[in-house]
Amino acid sequence: MELVGEEKRIQALFSEVRLADKPITPSFAGVWNRAQAKTVRTQRAFNLSFVAATALLVCALVSLAWWVKHSQPQQGALIATAPPIANGGSIKVGQPARIDESAPPTGPRVKVRPRVAKSGTQREALLVAANQKATRDAKAIESWQSPTATLLESPSDALLKSMPQLNQSGDELKSFLPTKPK
Amino acid sequence: MDIAELKAELEVLHSASFGWAMNCCRRDRAEAEEVLQTVYLKILEGKACFRGEASLKTWLFAVIRKTAIGEHRKNILRKLRWSDSAEQETTLVSPLEQPGVAFEKSETQALFQNALRTLPRRQREALHLVFYQDLSLSEAAAVMEISIGSARQHYDRGKKRLREYLGQTESAYGTSWRGKENPGAV
Repeated sequence: MELVGEEKRIQALFSEVRLADKPITPSFAGVWNRAQAKTVRTQRAFNLSFVAATALLVCALVSLAWWVKHSQPQQGALIATAPPIANGGSIKVGQPARIDESAPPTGPRVKVRPRVAKSGTQREALLVAANQKATRDAKAIESWQSPTATLLESPSDALLKSMPQLNQSGDELKSFLPTKPK
Repeated sequence: MDIAELKAELEVLHSASFGWAMNCCRRDRAEAEEVLQTVYLKILEGKACFRGEASLKTWLFAVIRKTAIGEHRKNILRKLRWSDSAEQETTLVSPLEQPGVAFEKSETQALFQNALRTLPRRQREALHLVFYQDLSLSEAAAVMEISIGSARQHYDRGKKRLREYLGQTESAYGTSWRGKENPGAV
């Protein structure tokens, strides 16, 4: 590039700047080494943080696995001891008891093994057994009779438990009335 | 190009790189050094990779320019975040008062540096690359990542503004800045 007039002057001024910059220029080795040290430091910091993050993750996974393993049997035991009847445990005489299908069977505690350890067929077999037991229990409750029911019976039960019919004769009705002394 | 070769090349270009970094950092020596160190770090980490598409000097200067702009932005954000008066006092020291730029105390240089500071960044960059680094306008355009036409415009406008600024002081120095235009600059 050929320079003329003012350009030469500008270049002379820039040359002065260049000359003035020379003594204040830091050494290449110094700047390069600092950059290199920074690279190593960054890598080390990255490695440390990576190790810490991995350790944390492993701890979290182990504790999660432990919690899953130990929480399952307790849950099973709770279900096994839950009340078998859904309507607060009271059964009315003469009415069929409503059985909560979702409720587990009564009786001795069934030791429920962790869900993860069970196979599909085992689970199905357990479910079928539980359903059969629940059905048996429901039938037993239906046919249950109170031992004191006979004490509550009286001769006028027929009257009290029956309704007068429209075509019933008045004489039959009068027979229930008290007789007046003549 | 492997890292040893690149290192040798960078060493040759080191003083020119520092001059360019000084220009990109508004002649702040500490910032220029920091920028240059960051550039070397980028090269070492492989974030800045020379693929031989341009000359090494052009590529290196483009990396320095980008890094300096990034660092400048970061500094502005840092100042905004931690804007307390005491810090501002220490950070907003005029570059003229820094020890590294003591030479600017000569009157001509002080005027020249002031004139450069009044120029927009692109014009200042174009003038620096052409006059300080002896690059052609096409190389300067590559460094600035603009078209050669834009580079020529920045160069011409910068020169004109510099002449106007320094022309105001010609009576004080007894020199005339009204020289002939150079049509074959490119």
